[in-house]
Amino acid sequence: MAYRANVLICGGTGCVSGGSFAVKKALETEIEKRGLKNEIMVIATGCQGFCGEGPIVIVQPDGVLYCKVNVNDVPQLVEEHLLKGRPYKKKLYTSPVEKAPIPALKEIPFFAKQRLVVLRNRGLIDPEKIEDYIAVDGFAALAKCLTEMTPESIINEIKKSGLRGRGGGGFPTGIKWESCRKAAIHRNVEPVVICNADEGDPGAFMDRSTIECDPCAIIEGMTIGARAIGAKQGFVYIRQEYPLARERLAKALEQARSYGLLGDNILGTDFSFDIKIVQGAGAFVCGESTALMASLEGKVGEPRAKYIHTVEYGYENRPSCLNNVETWANVPPIILRGAEWFTSMGTGDVSENPWGGSKGTKVFSLAGNVNNTGLIEVPMGITLREIIFDIGGGIAKGKKFKAVQTGGPSGGFLPESCIDLPVDFDSLLEAGTMMGSGGMVVADEDTCMVDSAKFFVSFLMEESCGKCTPCREGLRSMYNILDAITKGKGKEEDIETLQEIGEVMMDCCLCALGSSAPNPVISTIRYFKDEYLEHIRNKKCPGKVCKAMIIYKINSELCNGCHACTKVCPSDAIIGKQKELHRIDVQKCIKCGACIDVCPQEAIYKE
Amino acid sequence: MSKSEFEPRIVALLCNWCTYTGADLAGTARMKYPPNVRTLRVMCSGRVDPAFVIFALQNGADGVMIGGCHIGDCHYAKGNYSSRRRAVILKDTLESLGIDPRRFRLEWISASEGDKFAEVIKKFTKELKELGPNPLNKGAQDA
Amino acid sequence: METIKLKINGFEVEAYDKQPLIEVAEKLGIRIPTLCHNPIIEPYGVCRVCTVEVRHGRRVRMVTACNYPVSNGIEVFTDSERVIRNRKMIIEWLLGRCGNVPVLNKLAEEYGIAEPRFGRGTDNCILCGLCVRVCQDIVGANVLGFFDRGPNRYVSTSYDETSDLCITCGACASVCPTGCITIEGLQEGIYKEMPMGPITPIHIDFMQAVPKKAVIDHDSCINFKTGGCKVCVDVCEAEAIDHSMQETEKEVDVGTILLSTGFKLQDGRELKEYGYGKYPNILTSLDFEVLNNANGPTGGKIVTQDGKIPKAIGIIHCVGSRDKKYHEYCSRVCCMYALKFAHLIKEKIHDCEVYNFYIDMRCFGKGYEEFYNRLLREGVNFVRGKVAEISDATLDKSEEGKLILRAEDTMVGTVRRIPVDMVVLCLAVEAQEDAKSTARLFGCAVGKDYFVNEKHPKLAPVSTPSDGVFIAGMVQGPKDIPDTVAQAGAASSAILSLIQQKEVETEVVTAVIEESMCSGCHICVDLCPYNAITFYQDRKKSEINEALCKGCGTCVAACPAGAAQQRNFKDVQIYAEIRGLLAI
Repeated sequence: MAYRANVLICGGTGCVSGGSFAVKKALETEIEKRGLKNEIMVIATGCQGFCGEGPIVIVQPDGVLYCKVNVNDVPQLVEEHLLKGRPYKKKLYTSPVEKAPIPALKEIPFFAKQRLVVLRNRGLIDPEKIEDYIAVDGFAALAKCLTEMTPESIINEIKKSGLRGRGGGGFPTGIKWESCRKAAIHRNVEPVVICNADEGDPGAFMDRSTIECDPCAIIEGMTIGARAIGAKQGFVYIRQEYPLARERLAKALEQARSYGLLGDNILGTDFSFDIKIVQGAGAFVCGESTALMASLEGKVGEPRAKYIHTVEYGYENRPSCLNNVETWANVPPIILRGAEWFTSMGTGDVSENPWGGSKGTKVFSLAGNVNNTGLIEVPMGITLREIIFDIGGGIAKGKKFKAVQTGGPSGGFLPESCIDLPVDFDSLLEAGTMMGSGGMVVADEDTCMVDSAKFFVSFLMEESCGKCTPCREGLRSMYNILDAITKGKGKEEDIETLQEIGEVMMDCCLCALGSSAPNPVISTIRYFKDEYLEHIRNKKCPGKVCKAMIIYKINSELCNGCHACTKVCPSDAIIGKQKELHRIDVQKCIKCGACIDVCPQEAIYKE
Repeated sequence: MSKSEFEPRIVALLCNWCTYTGADLAGTARMKYPPNVRTLRVMCSGRVDPAFVIFALQNGADGVMIGGCHIGDCHYAKGNYSSRRRAVILKDTLESLGIDPRRFRLEWISASEGDKFAEVIKKFTKELKELGPNPLNKGAQDA
Repeated sequence: METIKLKINGFEVEAYDKQPLIEVAEKLGIRIPTLCHNPIIEPYGVCRVCTVEVRHGRRVRMVTACNYPVSNGIEVFTDSERVIRNRKMIIEWLLGRCGNVPVLNKLAEEYGIAEPRFGRGTDNCILCGLCVRVCQDIVGANVLGFFDRGPNRYVSTSYDETSDLCITCGACASVCPTGCITIEGLQEGIYKEMPMGPITPIHIDFMQAVPKKAVIDHDSCINFKTGGCKVCVDVCEAEAIDHSMQETEKEVDVGTILLSTGFKLQDGRELKEYGYGKYPNILTSLDFEVLNNANGPTGGKIVTQDGKIPKAIGIIHCVGSRDKKYHEYCSRVCCMYALKFAHLIKEKIHDCEVYNFYIDMRCFGKGYEEFYNRLLREGVNFVRGKVAEISDATLDKSEEGKLILRAEDTMVGTVRRIPVDMVVLCLAVEAQEDAKSTARLFGCAVGKDYFVNEKHPKLAPVSTPSDGVFIAGMVQGPKDIPDTVAQAGAASSAILSLIQQKEVETEVVTAVIEESMCSGCHICVDLCPYNAITFYQDRKKSEINEALCKGCGTCVAACPAGAAQQRNFKDVQIYAEIRGLLAI
């Protein structure tokens, strides 16, 4: 049956929570009602990435994107676009800069600068139908590996491509596969491939979206990897908090098995491989490779010393090849399109030294105070400015850019002076942060850097396994000092102490959770020392965040006495009668900010 | 001879390992006991044929005693079981023979029980004195 | 294993490839401090105190020495500025959790930390995990574990409840570096004793033991409870330990036997009036020997349970001996060793008041009486009278912790009340628990005090009525060492003269069956305890095997035909004896 149009509705968790499934149902009902059932196909796809504007609906082949679609918009949308053939203006994306609607997806700046490799199939296929994946050349790379290539040549291709681990470590994947294969042969022990889908960074959702929109890509990547190193067994360790992703992956595995693409004698060869899904249980530290493998074995998720590498002794003391979701998803296109194509994207030169460059693309979850938040995939080497201002659409609400945080709790903050840095493994490291798994949070002028550093430290303190002294006690000591600073009790020597703690932690912690934990603190001290000094010496918070150092005030010129703030104040701190000037009792005010949110005149401010 | 001057004659068949040695100990320890006992050594109390007892009683003994090791301690393991069994039948037989069964005793006396030996002889002698001479005793009546 | 070369602090050293760095440093005598490390347990690498600097080419790494596998050509620096700075902060961090733990304070002193920057916490567990690991990996009881995470991490049992799995082996307490694990008695009235004997399941009984070999106490050894541990096997260089050894029975053909199974000391708890086991600091004579021994728990210092030097000690003679209630006999050795104790105490603690409570002073041997006189000159107090009671009925604070002795002083004619710090009971010497059954095994009898009967108390003290079985030492009766040695010599020479003979004459008291008189009733066959009589079907006659016959005569008495007769004890002989006995 030839459909004249496909209506793709985003089925990623973000849009689902915005009601996209209901929209899908409404679309199907409306289309049927209009007698268009045989002409228009409605498909729920994976995350489109434009999460800030969801639920997203795209009409192909027109390539028109609609955002913030809800059930009530459906009848008009169907009538306007599907029957009358013109874009439904009301729901088109409007650029905040030009204030003009942009119907074509390709022209929306958010999408324009992106380069999809990992997310190549997003929005194009139904992730719950393996036939869709196969239709877009899915499993062709696997077939090539099994029929035209040897394990060694597969490894060589990955090495040549310069693919480096996307989970944060940036380790050259080809070398990892090679060492694993060597160890397995030398020790005569069967190796295992593992996919790290634990994604613990707060606010990061790259892996979730990848699995939700294209689970077969990971399956294919892992199978190729298993072929390369000689494994028969594979695991996907997925965090408990991703039920939809897990469900889609499980479905995809079932379907793959039924097609002979997984299990015994894949594609009729003598290569057998299967994948099992194992769920995490809410521990950030289980994203660390040795802790993950311990958890896989059913033991407590605690890291161990990595002097003995997991590629030699990992899961059940077998050679284990652990890669991130994104890394696995990169494998099929590299095999199909070749290492040279992959090296054409990115920075540096990996022909002699695999660490010499960052090739390919990277998926980021862009969040924070930008206009366009969502999931993006960009070629390595793109500048921060392009990401934040072009793709991200600039700072929201017209505020000023202050800092961008990359790499989650293991990364650091970069100020405006670094905004033209190319985004790749090495330049970010030099600048005092790291790429990490791809979390990118933009902060505006209303952010307090000390408070942000404190937030990350408190997160890590809670998630630390507590096994080694420097992490367990170091994070606590850092937190205490930062807390004191935010409460106006900072001392002059605190900055030096924090730096020393950071150095000792980086030297002595048992795993990367601890050794990278000082990064938020050290980078904010490096770039925003003045802010620290303001807090310590003058007991003032420039970002007006630290509650101990701010008071809430009502601008007498703007207040119209509407009484809205009084109604929401939880501590009855606002004094004033209806239609009269209101004022805030500083003693009672708990600085929750509820009044600022409701004031229609924007008369309440922090000082 | 008047009854008050009656000195009973006791024949004691003593097993070599226990009772005989015990009697010896009584002697070396200078324990005092009546001289009425005349000892005869056998290797084991099991050697004692009940006929010996009857023979002794028929030939002048007022009382006969068999002394053996304590049950379980027999030097030859089981000999004293035999003597115990025989003693039971012997008691009945003596009655039917017209001999007071109290004139026969089976005692378990170990090698260290010199004092027990002395006690037993004392008691037996006293009892026999009260019982009087053995009516079968041809010689006593004559003397 | 491949050998490689590396440098530590500039010194070159050889090691095995992948050997733990800390072991290699130890070889060079370089001490790297650790807290969570114990050589018998797999390294854990969590305290991070042992972090040192390693350079390989241009690459510099900070690694933990306890589990870092060395490789060829690395350069290690255990005391560089960076290492010291890191170590200091780690100690400060630990102090911030456990501010008053001796092992941390010692490290703090060593590294010049006067005021820890993160304060002094009130916890006493440094979360080193030694207790958890020894319990899980070595002992195998799996009682302890870590719970919660991050700064809230703590060590406990499941659900924080008293564990049924704990076998109270004490391994956790012995590996804990801070001493925060203690072993508590669950019963009331058991005071914390200073261990007088071996404190580990595998031990050498005492330094003067013969043979001086280690033995394993089956009841307290962890391996027999959980199948784990076996640390002793790992450290034994001679590979002499084998937990799977079973008791074996061996059959040995011998011609003579010497029984010298010794004695036991009476159980002091039997005499309730003396409070042994109820009050602290009451010792038996053997307890005191252990205490006084240079290889004992205190290295020979005579001290009370709480480690103090006693100011007064009471030694009580005749405890359980010469006593109608327990043993009427005199234990022979006590007076002399009690005097020895008195002398030793006076020698070690000059101003200690020593009281010997006696009935008679039995100094029967060479130089013994002279020794007693010497003690009189040394100022030992001799009280002629029995101690009626030992109690803790102190009158005032000055007597706190003392034991009160009430004794009759028959010379003075009063009852005395003497407070002392320690009491030594000269308990009676007794036969072993199983003396009776052991003697029976060898065909010997025991007396009423369960000492084995000799053949003749004066003329044959080391022989028994059973030929070839001899006795020597305390098994025959209480005696001291010179007498034991003499008896041992006597018995040995008796044995030697016996076994050196080529032929031995035995008494012929065996029984014989006159074949012509035998009716074949085979009553005798079953009676023989030695199965010496065989009934021959073909002849229908019974025959006695003279080699097996021991000469009890039971068959002779039982034979209805009189066919069986015992040599030297024939019926006709016995009849003749009886007649003879009654002739007068």
